[in-house]
Amino acid sequence: MSFFGFDATLPRDRGHSAHAPGFGQTPDAFAGLGGGAAADDDDAIDFDDTYDGLGDRLDEADDAFNDDTFGRGPASQQSIGKDFDFAGQTSKISNTIQEEQMLYQARQAPSQQRAQPQHQHQHQPPKPSKPSRTGYESYHDPNYIPQLEARADIWGLKPKQPTAPTRPPENQAPPPEPQPARKIVSLEEVEAMIRAQTLQQERAAMQMQQQQQQQAQQSQPPHVPAYPQQQVPHGQLHFPGIPGQGQFVPHILQRPQQVQQQAQQQPPQQRSGSRPQQVHAELPAHSVQTPPTQHPTILQRQRPPPNDPAIQQQRNAQPQSAPQRPPSQPRQILQNPSRLSGQGQSMVQPGMQAPQGPRGSGHNRGPSYPGMVVTNPEQLLHLSKEDREAFLAEDAKRAKRNHKIAQLSKDNGLMTPQDKNFITRIQLQQLMTATGNLDEQSPETVLAEDFYYQVFSQIRGAPRQTPHQPASQFAQTYLFQTNNRYGAGRRQGRGADNHMQRMEQQVQRAVEAAKAKPKAKQLTIEGSLGKISFSNSKTPRPLLSMKRPVSHDQHPHKPKVSVADRKETLRNIENVYMTLMRMEDHERTIPGQLSQDSSPEVIQKHMEWRTKIEALHKQLWEDIKIMEPINPASLTPHPFIAILSHAKGKKAIPRIFRHIDEQERITILTMVVVHLDKLNVVSHGVATPEQPLSPAMRDEIELFLHSVVPPLYAHIFESPLNIIIGLLGLILERTNVHIVARTKVGMSLLIMLISRAELLKEPPEINVVDWENWTTLYNRLFDSVEPVLPAIFPGSINDTDDMYVWQFLAAMGVGASPEQQQRLVLGVKDRVMETVGVSKALPPEMASARLANVNLFMRAIGLDVELLG
Amino acid sequence: MLIFSFFKTLMNTEITVELKNEVSIRGTIKSIDQFLNIKLDNATVVDELKWPHMSSTHDMFIRGSVVRYVHIPPDKVDIGLLEDATRREAEKSKAGAA
Repeated sequence: MSFFGFDATLPRDRGHSAHAPGFGQTPDAFAGLGGGAAADDDDAIDFDDTYDGLGDRLDEADDAFNDDTFGRGPASQQSIGKDFDFAGQTSKISNTIQEEQMLYQARQAPSQQRAQPQHQHQHQPPKPSKPSRTGYESYHDPNYIPQLEARADIWGLKPKQPTAPTRPPENQAPPPEPQPARKIVSLEEVEAMIRAQTLQQERAAMQMQQQQQQQAQQSQPPHVPAYPQQQVPHGQLHFPGIPGQGQFVPHILQRPQQVQQQAQQQPPQQRSGSRPQQVHAELPAHSVQTPPTQHPTILQRQRPPPNDPAIQQQRNAQPQSAPQRPPSQPRQILQNPSRLSGQGQSMVQPGMQAPQGPRGSGHNRGPSYPGMVVTNPEQLLHLSKEDREAFLAEDAKRAKRNHKIAQLSKDNGLMTPQDKNFITRIQLQQLMTATGNLDEQSPETVLAEDFYYQVFSQIRGAPRQTPHQPASQFAQTYLFQTNNRYGAGRRQGRGADNHMQRMEQQVQRAVEAAKAKPKAKQLTIEGSLGKISFSNSKTPRPLLSMKRPVSHDQHPHKPKVSVADRKETLRNIENVYMTLMRMEDHERTIPGQLSQDSSPEVIQKHMEWRTKIEALHKQLWEDIKIMEPINPASLTPHPFIAILSHAKGKKAIPRIFRHIDEQERITILTMVVVHLDKLNVVSHGVATPEQPLSPAMRDEIELFLHSVVPPLYAHIFESPLNIIIGLLGLILERTNVHIVARTKVGMSLLIMLISRAELLKEPPEINVVDWENWTTLYNRLFDSVEPVLPAIFPGSINDTDDMYVWQFLAAMGVGASPEQQQRLVLGVKDRVMETVGVSKALPPEMASARLANVNLFMRAIGLDVELLG
Repeated sequence: MLIFSFFKTLMNTEITVELKNEVSIRGTIKSIDQFLNIKLDNATVVDELKWPHMSSTHDMFIRGSVVRYVHIPPDKVDIGLLEDATRREAEKSKAGAA
């Protein structure tokens, strides 16, 4: 409570906004004092006894947040809440305050007032705040002139009245010491000043009262009725014109004192009446009653309290009223706590005024009362016109500001501290993640929390570079995919081109090699094998076999995949991915390189790491279901092939290949080859000019070519002839070559195998047996393919995506015997002529591109498109 | 946090935010928080005729909860990576739940 009182004294408080009713409350602190004094007499609680002085130690710098801290408490508290700021802004004004005080004193120079201040410093007046007034009240009155100066002397309340009786003489005796107040620089000093003033006033009042009281006490009873009436009007307050108000105010303040005094003097009689008051005084609300007068002064402009006169008057009046008031005041407080302070100031009752008048004559009541400042026009009268205007303006300004503050603060307390904590936590959390404080978190943690962003930035060189090593690995893992992502789109470009280029290069190399070789040699070799003759005689056979495959083509069986199978497959794929990611994560944690002098711990770690990676490797191998037994009769595709039928399954292949060893790669390659015509990209990948592929299927095929084929190709490219032979044999035996040869994927595989074989043909050591085997297989392949030669072009003549077909033809032509070459040419002659014809109508660039494709084939068989021109 | 992580990679790219009140706003994404509140610069309303009152606003802060869709340039998304990130997220939440 005490701290409220102090704060209230600040000039700012006074200005408190209309919204904050409590603005005037600050004065209450003194009220407590008065009450305390009264209490002593009655055996009620003595303020001094109760007050622990903690209020003095409070740090008011943070009072600005009182509202936040305490929420919307009683009206009085609210008003007080934000304006506390002695150390801050108030201190800045201290000089001004002092000046004003000086001015005032100089003008009015009431001798009595000055005398009082001296001793009072010792007292600790702080008391609970009282209800406040709006602060705008005064402005309602057109004639209102804010009280400029308040004298400490005026304040009628004594903190320690109980002791006061003895003191009064002392107080009066010491001459006024107004100056000390001026010197005040620090808050403490200011506060001390205020206290002193109040004390002085109180003492003065005490003295007066005592004298008067004794006389008046007995007469009080009659007054009693009057008081209640008077008090009621207080609510209305601010009767600018009424001089008497000021006087009354003092009474109110003094009442407690009076009561006490009275009590002392007339214990039995008055006590009954006074007790209630005292009790009230102790309570915050009660204190309001007495303090109100004081507060206004303090709050509004800490000018020196005006004067004794008021006090004296009060005292005079008080004796009478004191006993009566207690009851009435409480009511007011309860009714409108906020206003009490204001009321207290304004509390001038018509009836009262009259009596006061006489007393007041001796002193300048109006000016003397701090509280009066606002309400009493009299005070203004004393001022010069300029000053008055200045004061008014100042006051208006203050009120405006307070109003603003109140508006701003109207939502204060809306959030509970818990709410705030919650928000703060979230914000901090966000900060943590947003800034990705890598220093505090391990890279792994960051990755786990923010995987996409971290990896993405590493791969794409996003703004923030993190010093993680894994970057390159992520790039390996994902960049590749990234390029492949857009099947037929621009993206695929690089990866696809790469692959296609390599294939083309290989074909070309094979062509070149074949050209370099004397044709005769081929012939002789083949002739020696006796195949030439065979081929002639066998020519009819392919024709026979032709129909069967074609009929097959017409009805590609589309195995219906049940939902359960599909789900199972998808689950398998996910397992594969999870294992892959675990492996990749694990690879990142690889301990340092082993060396001769590695410490046992390092070796140990390394061992553990290897053990784990092997376990994961094994798990991966199981996940891809590659080792499931092959059941040709089964209607459902092999699990591994099923995996390849999904886009994400295809995408997993390159990543899988990085983690498996050579033998396992061969296994996968074999598995793909064996099931070549079961792959959905093959079985559903047969296109005709009449029935082009659906875009979806085209995407699937592209994806397959860009994700699955390259690793296979890389492997084939390094395989020895026997493996090539084995693979080709598998294709011929286990798959429907007609379908395979009419699809891009199948054809690509065939190109790889044939061209690889052609390249292997020349080098130093050729295993004759292997070569014979190869030739046999080649002839079988040729015979199988020949019937569908006219159909191997997927689109019409205007379909430019036929390079792979020409490559295939070239690859076939390179290894073909002259007789086979003739048959090749026969098979595709129409297409060649058409292409050449169409290309003449095309722009040069496109024409040359298409002719180059044709030429690839033509040169493989020793011809050139030029010859056709 | 996956979506947040994802959007962080879209910083300074042009997106179109479709709000639940049918307003579509195109702008450069300046920042985003974990509530997916979005701050847009150079923002314009897609259908100026229908929402003329929005035409004077060029910087916007959009509360995440009012966003229905966000249209993103496809080349700004690494699908493979996003898939893996999703897998990790799923596994993490699964582990957390278990």
